[in-house]
Parts: sequence; structure tokens; C-alpha cells
Amino acid sequence: MDLLQAVVNGALIGGVYAVTSIGLTLVFGVMEIVNFAHAAFLMLGMYIAYHAWAAWGIDPLFGSLIALVVVFVLGAVLQRTLIMPILRAPQVSQIFLTVGLLLALENTALLAFGSEFRSVQTPYQTSALRIGGIFVSVPYLAAFLMSVASGAALSLFLRRTDVGRAMRATAQNPTAARLVGIDVTRMYWIAFGLGTGLTAFGGAVILPYMTVFPTVGGQFVVLMFTVVVLGGLGSIPGAMIGGLVVGVIQSVSALLFPIHLQNLVLFLVFIAVLAVRPTGLLGAGR
Amino acid sequence: MKRPLRSLPAVAVVGLAFAAPLALDPLGYPMRVLTLVFLFAAMGQAWNLLGGLANQVSLGHAAFFGIGAYTSTILLRDHGLTPWIGMLVGGAIAAAAAVALSIPTFRLRGHYFALATLAFGEVMRVVANSWSEVTGGPVGISVPFLGDDAAMFQFTSSVPYYYIMLAALVGVSLVFWRVKAGRLGYRLRALKENPEAAEVIGVDTYRAKLAAMLVSAFITALLGTLYAQLNYFFDPDTIFGLATVSVRMALVAIVGGLGSVWGPIAGAAFLIPVEEFANAFFTNQAAGVSQLFYSLLLIAVILLEPRGLVALGGRAARLARREGRP
Amino acid sequence: MDRYGNDGRANARTRGLTRRDLVSRSLAAAAGVTLGGGRAAAARAAAPAINVGVLLPLSGANAQFGINARNGIELVADRINAGGGIRALEGATINLVVADATSNPATAATVAQRLISRNSVVAVLGAFASSLTLAVSEVTERRRIPLLTMSFSDQITGRGFKYVFQVVSKASVIGKAQFEYTLGIAKAAGETLDRVAIMYEDTAYGTSQATGLRAAAKEAGIEVVMDEAYPLGITDVTPLIGKLRASGARAVFPVSYLNDSILIIRTMRQQRLDIPAIGGAAGYVIPDFHRALGEYAEGVLSVNTSNYDLAPEETRAFRERYGYFMVHEAIEHAATMHLLARAIEAAKSARPEAVREALAAGRVCDGIVKALPGGCVAFDRTGLNTETYPIMVQWRGAELVTVYPEQVARAKPAWRS
Repeated sequence: MDLLQAVVNGALIGGVYAVTSIGLTLVFGVMEIVNFAHAAFLMLGMYIAYHAWAAWGIDPLFGSLIALVVVFVLGAVLQRTLIMPILRAPQVSQIFLTVGLLLALENTALLAFGSEFRSVQTPYQTSALRIGGIFVSVPYLAAFLMSVASGAALSLFLRRTDVGRAMRATAQNPTAARLVGIDVTRMYWIAFGLGTGLTAFGGAVILPYMTVFPTVGGQFVVLMFTVVVLGGLGSIPGAMIGGLVVGVIQSVSALLFPIHLQNLVLFLVFIAVLAVRPTGLLGAGR
Repeated sequence: MKRPLRSLPAVAVVGLAFAAPLALDPLGYPMRVLTLVFLFAAMGQAWNLLGGLANQVSLGHAAFFGIGAYTSTILLRDHGLTPWIGMLVGGAIAAAAAVALSIPTFRLRGHYFALATLAFGEVMRVVANSWSEVTGGPVGISVPFLGDDAAMFQFTSSVPYYYIMLAALVGVSLVFWRVKAGRLGYRLRALKENPEAAEVIGVDTYRAKLAAMLVSAFITALLGTLYAQLNYFFDPDTIFGLATVSVRMALVAIVGGLGSVWGPIAGAAFLIPVEEFANAFFTNQAAGVSQLFYSLLLIAVILLEPRGLVALGGRAARLARREGRP
Repeated sequence: MDRYGNDGRANARTRGLTRRDLVSRSLAAAAGVTLGGGRAAAARAAAPAINVGVLLPLSGANAQFGINARNGIELVADRINAGGGIRALEGATINLVVADATSNPATAATVAQRLISRNSVVAVLGAFASSLTLAVSEVTERRRIPLLTMSFSDQITGRGFKYVFQVVSKASVIGKAQFEYTLGIAKAAGETLDRVAIMYEDTAYGTSQATGLRAAAKEAGIEVVMDEAYPLGITDVTPLIGKLRASGARAVFPVSYLNDSILIIRTMRQQRLDIPAIGGAAGYVIPDFHRALGEYAEGVLSVNTSNYDLAPEETRAFRERYGYFMVHEAIEHAATMHLLARAIEAAKSARPEAVREALAAGRVCDGIVKALPGGCVAFDRTGLNTETYPIMVQWRGAELVTVYPEQVARAKPAWRS
């Protein structure tokens, strides 16, 4: 029973890890940039949803759509101004541009939103369904369903629309994509906007159970990387699976080991998986 | 004929650095900033051995740094062993850890290697936080205060620390320079350019990478001890920190310029004072302004010249020469 | 909205102060490199102001607490300056030099070095987090500059330092009080606690307070059925609450910052676990706790080191100026400023050495110090305030009310189970 509860819970949490990490993997897949500032967009999404709730009473689950749109635009602009010039720079320089961006976004948020811990109040946030002997937290379930829906929408977008297909082609082979007439530069900023927007969306849907403050992203950044690398950099199904795996490992390890060793277990599994599969579970092996 | 001329600027810089304390307040702030510049430059140089020469971007060097700091401090606290010897023990343990880490990670390329090392640093942080009986846990550990005692690596004046850090920087730079010019450097360059081709021409890439990693880890651990002796207090989240150590070490090397002996020196000489300046200049301002300024400057440098300050300096010099021509 | 207005006001004030400062500082900085200490003396002769270093985490994860603390210090400093400055020194004014300690102890130590050698501060106030304070104290001790703090890690006063002064109880004492006061309150309500649970974040603050809780439980012969640390920044506390439920504890002592405390209370509600949670200060005693939890905050008990209702007339001005009640870190940092001013008056000098002597010898019982339990500050040889003790507070609506021990209680504690 405990194990079942842990697995259910881990899967619900993992669904959210998945959606926040899909954006990271999408950005990597299309332009091979590891974006260390990614978690800051999660924080922005949380703030946008918070202020939508505080000002107009919009539930964060719907505020998430506002977050998606606003951060999409912001992400696209940042891509054009900051990321584009260093696309061909060495990998290390890219890492540090995004580290700088992370610091800049966190401190801008501190100046703009203040240092208070912000949290919404919704009627469902303290309720849980009881199925058999298992508690299913309603805010977790809601966040999970929203995450699954957004993952499905993204996958439809990538498969069914022209832009989506062009983006996939760019991810597979930018040179070939350019040859067949795809505007690769346009793909880059759309992908970056979409990646950051989705993460902001993920931030908004967890707001019913998380508190937002300028450095909240720090709690997620290492998790996101773990998810993405476990699944295989650039692989969207990989991020989905990686998210669930990370959620379940965290939750189940809490049954077996002291809880403060939760991340130790996670990272050891992570290193072990890479030792066996150097490009992650579903990695393309670039 | 060429050598002495080329090492002239190096000799001049080192000479100037050695003379500087004569003109500075021995307990003052500029001394402290310079001491930190040397320490971080040395850390960047150690990182440069692996990251710069072999292009193996490690984001987990805090693991080695922390191992060094903890080993020497615990040996001092529990057994009264002087950190001068304790640091060598720490270096040995860090080298052993590097071997252990190399087994699962050296097949990894690029980002995968970076993120696996990052996880390793985090593992060490959790271990130090949890293993309270030995490390003191999250409350951190203080270096026992023994008064002015050179044999025990403790000085009340900050002048000795200044020279120790400077000597460390010169030492690490010499190691880097020797490795780069030697056979190991040749192998590392080969595998950096093209790992497959390197294997074909008979370079054992695993051994070359491991050798670089061992030296880098050993030196990083020694520097960890220096840090502990300079600050007298540290805790797991700082010494094994991703932002405070791992990323900073790499940042120093990258902002300066990878793979060159001057890179980390230029990087530290730029980053540390700028951070201090931002903190001092924006004193009494709204919270966050100084960090914002610092981060924007970082972004600006990388946008201006992604290959770092040394390359930027080279570009400026070329530009000046061209301007100078009639 | 209130927050923006208030921050704006505070900033406008400091900014006015800075522009002037900046010019002199950058000029002096340029000169300082070559001339060393000469400039500080010149600056002091020009303006009869006493520089006081304020070193707090103003960015990073602890920014909220650092800003609260800065607000408290500013309130007292402004009051002193408006009241004619330091009388013993011909009305010299207090000039706060506020610097960001960030969240990195090494940076905090460097900034302390700067405050001492560049700004010639008479003392340093701060630095909220124990790890920062410990690092700073290594600098202030060697430079013989008093450091006044409210960081309560046992290490701070446990190293035989002569220049560190700590205004509240030690962490282990706070943990012990958290336990014993709860026992007292429960007993008065006719409840017996036979099994309890302890959960804490694995930080300096969490672990050292848990040590006190554990010791007190052992002393009282009460079984601790759960004793778990969890990682700082935990994103899912469900496993923790699952263990709590399974343990059959009759009360739980969580020691955590805000995010975790909210997660813990909400998840307990979800799982319909309604044993009382008795907080360990930090996240449980700030306005954001009530703002986030609303009705679920009602009746939550927490240990605390000071409270605004102990001296309403002294803390009212804070609420008027900043828009929220004077939180404990603001009170305690304000007290350090007040103590420092008193010590300068008593020493009739702004020399750090003389101020240290006055701090060590004096006993102060007025002003904002009245909001500390015990109402007075007098330091023992280790620099610990011997006259204060922890208290228990309880949420009533949006207010925190002191409910225990009886001699300072403003209302009777309510035991909810």
C-alpha cells in the first residue's frame, strides 16, 4: 500500500517535472543549447500566474495560459537578442551566457516583485481524493492533468502543423532543413519561445501547491537537468519518461531511505544510467 | 632567443604582485580582494587543465575542492595534524575520487559529461550534509583557532595568505604550462580536436583524460585547503556549492579564455574585482541591484567576445596596431 | 500594492543618501588604492557621522529576511538621528552602510573586510544566516570590531570570541523551549503527549534546533516516534506526511522556512491529519505564512525569539512605515542598532575597542529591546544575552499573539487537537 501510494504520488509529481523539462529538451533539440536560465522561466510563470490571481482572481490553472503566452514572447525576444549571437560560440560560452541570464532574471524579479514568498489560495489546494487506501492530492492531480494535456498539445503541434514539422526537421539536421527552404532562424526563436513558455506554464500549474519567490527556480534546476539527461537530451518522449522516473525515484526512495538522502539516491541512479547508456534512456546519441 | 622575451610580461606581473603588499594596508580590503583573485585564478587554472586542454567541461569540481577543505580541517580538528600535510591527504583522496568518477563518466561527451559531473558535486554536498558525525553536518565546520603558527598554517596577518595564494597561482600556472607544452598536452589537444582520430593515431584517450583529471582534482583539493585556512569556516552548501564553487571556477577560466595560461588569470582579475565593485558601488541601493549589474556585465562580455577576455584583448591590440599604421 | 509603496519609500530615502555618498566614495576609492587608510580619517573629520556596517543577505534565497532586518535597523537609526544623534558625541549621526552579504559566506567575509577598512565602521550588524555570521565573525574578531547578531547557531558564541554579541537565545535553547512550552500548554489543556514527531530541514538552523528538541524530549521521557531531516527546497512533502501519519505521533514539531512549512500544513490537511503542528519560528512567524494559508494558519503555534506585541508602542512605527507587523528578525536587528547606539553613548567614543567594552559591561532595558522576552540585554563573557528566553506565539487572525510563558503572555494559549 505504501509502495502504491509512493508510486502514484511520484508519477503525479513527475508529470510536472516532465512538462517543465520538455521546454529544456526542446530548446536543446533544436539549437543544442543547454539553458541554465531555464528554471528562471519557471519562476516567471509562477509570478505571472500569481499576479493574475491576485489582480483578477484567475485560478493559476488558467493563469498558466497567460504565463505561456507572455513568456513565449519574452523567450522569443531573448533568443533574438542574446542567444542568437552565440549559437556558434563554444559550448562553454553558451553555458555562461545562460548562467548570466539566470542571475539577471532572478535579480530583476527581486526588484520587480519583491522578496516576499507569494502563494495563492484556492478551494481545492487542501483537498485530496481517497481512492482505496490511497490519497490523491487534488492540486497534484490538477497539475498532472494540465501537464499531460500540454505535452499532448505540443506533440500534436510538432506532428500535425507545418511549423511543427519544420521544427522537427531543424532539430534533426539544420543544414538539410535550410536546404529544403526552412527558415531555420525562425524555427530557433519559435522553439526557444515555446520551450520557455511551456516551462512557465509548468510553473503556473504548480502554484496551487508551491510558493513563489525570486530564487524558487533553484529548487528545480538540478531536477530539470536530471530529467532531461536521463531521458536523452533533445528527446521529448525521453523528457516525459525522465520526468516520471525522477518523480517515482524520489518518492519511492523516501520509503527505503531517510528522506534527506532522496537526492543522493536520485543522482547516483542518474550517474549509473549514464554509465550504461551514455546518451540517456532515449537519447539519439549525437 | 624568443623564450626570454615572451616570458618577460609574466615575470613583470609576478614581480609586481610580489611587491604589491609593500604599498598596501596589510589588513585592508585591497589585500583581501587580491588574495581572492589569486585563489580563484588558481582554481580556474586547475579547471583549465581538464576543461581548457581536453574540453571536458566539469561542473562538479566543487567535489574535489570540498574534499580538500574537509580532509585537512577534520585531520586538524581530530588529530592535530597540520594542514600542510593534511592538504596532501586531501589531494590524494580527491585523486581517488576522480578515478572513481572517471569510470562512469569518461565515455560521456559534451553536455552529458558536464551534467554528470554536476550530479557528482551534488552527491558530495548531500553526503557532507548528512554525515554529521564526521563533517559536522549542515552547521558547517570551523578551523580550530591556534594563533600565529606557521607550522600549523595559521597567521594573524593577512600578508602570508597573500603570498601563499600568489605562490599557489604561480605553481598551478607552471603545472598548466608544463602539461600544455608536454606530451600530455599534445594528446589532450588531439582528443579535443577529434576523439576518434586521436584513437586512430594511437592516443589512449581514456588515460590522457584520466591523467588530466587526476592532476586537476589533486590541485583543486589543495586549493580547497587554502580556502579553508583563509576563511576559517565553511559549510557543505558553500564548499560543495554549484554556484559558489563549481560554476565560478569554470566561469573564471571561460571569461578569461579557455586553454591559455593567461585565461584564468585574466578571468579572475576581472570577475572578482567587478563583483566586489558592484557590491560596493550599489551599497545602500535596493536589494538585488548589484547582482543584476554583475550579471548584465557577464552577459555583455560573452556577447562581445565568446572566446573570452584574452581573445578580446588580442582583438583590441590588433585593432590598435591597424589604427596606428599610417 | 502596499509593498510597492513601502519599498519605494524606503528606497527613495536611501537613494537620496547614496548619491552624495557615491561621489565621495568613488573619489575616495580612487585615492584609497594608493593612499590606503588616509581617506577614512578625512571623511570622518568632514561630517560628524558614525559609520555602522549593516551586512545582510539582500539577494538570493534569504533576501526576504535580510530586507526585513534592514528595515528594522533603518527604523531605529532614523529615530536616533531625528532625536539629535549621539549626544555624547555632539549629536553625531548614525550613517548606515548597508551591504549585500549575498548567500555566500566567503563573499560576506570580504564585504565585512571592506566595511571595516573602507568605511571604517564602528561595528557590524548582521548577517541573519548563521553561516554568513560565522564567516563574518572570523573577520571582525581579527580586526577587533564588534559584531552584533541575532543568528542563533550554538557555534556563534561557542568559540570564545570576544567581539561577537548575540541578542537572542541559542538554537539548542530555542529547540528545547519549543518542546517544553508545548508540553506545558498541552498539560494545561488536559492533553497528554506521549508520542511526538520531529521534522526539520537539513540546514544549520534546522539541525541545531532539532538537537534541542530531541534533548528536551529525552529529558521529559517522551517517545520521539519520528525524527526526520529533509532536504532544503523539498518540492514534495507527501512521503514525509505519510511517515508522520504512520508514526501515530500526537503532535509534530516542524522546523522549516516558509515554503516547506506551507507544504507541510497543506499536505497534512489533504491527508486529514489534524494533530497540532508547533512551528520552529522562521517560516511560521512571518506575515506570508498567514497570507498563504488563510484560515489554516489560525491557531498554529510556533516558538519565537521576540514578538511585536511585547512592546506595541515601540513596534507600531514599523508597521506604519512598512505596512506589515514587525517580524522577529526586524525587532532583533533593530535591537542590535539600539544597543550599539547606547554603547557609543556610554563609551562617549566611537572607537570599536571602547564600544566593545561598553557593550560587554552594559545592561540595556529600553526602546525596542522591550520587544525581546525578558525586556533587557546584558551579555555574558561569551557574548550571549543572558536576560532573554524564547516564547511561544500563536496565530490569531492575521496577528501573532504571545501566549507562553505566562509572565509575558498577552493571551491564553489555545490547544487545538
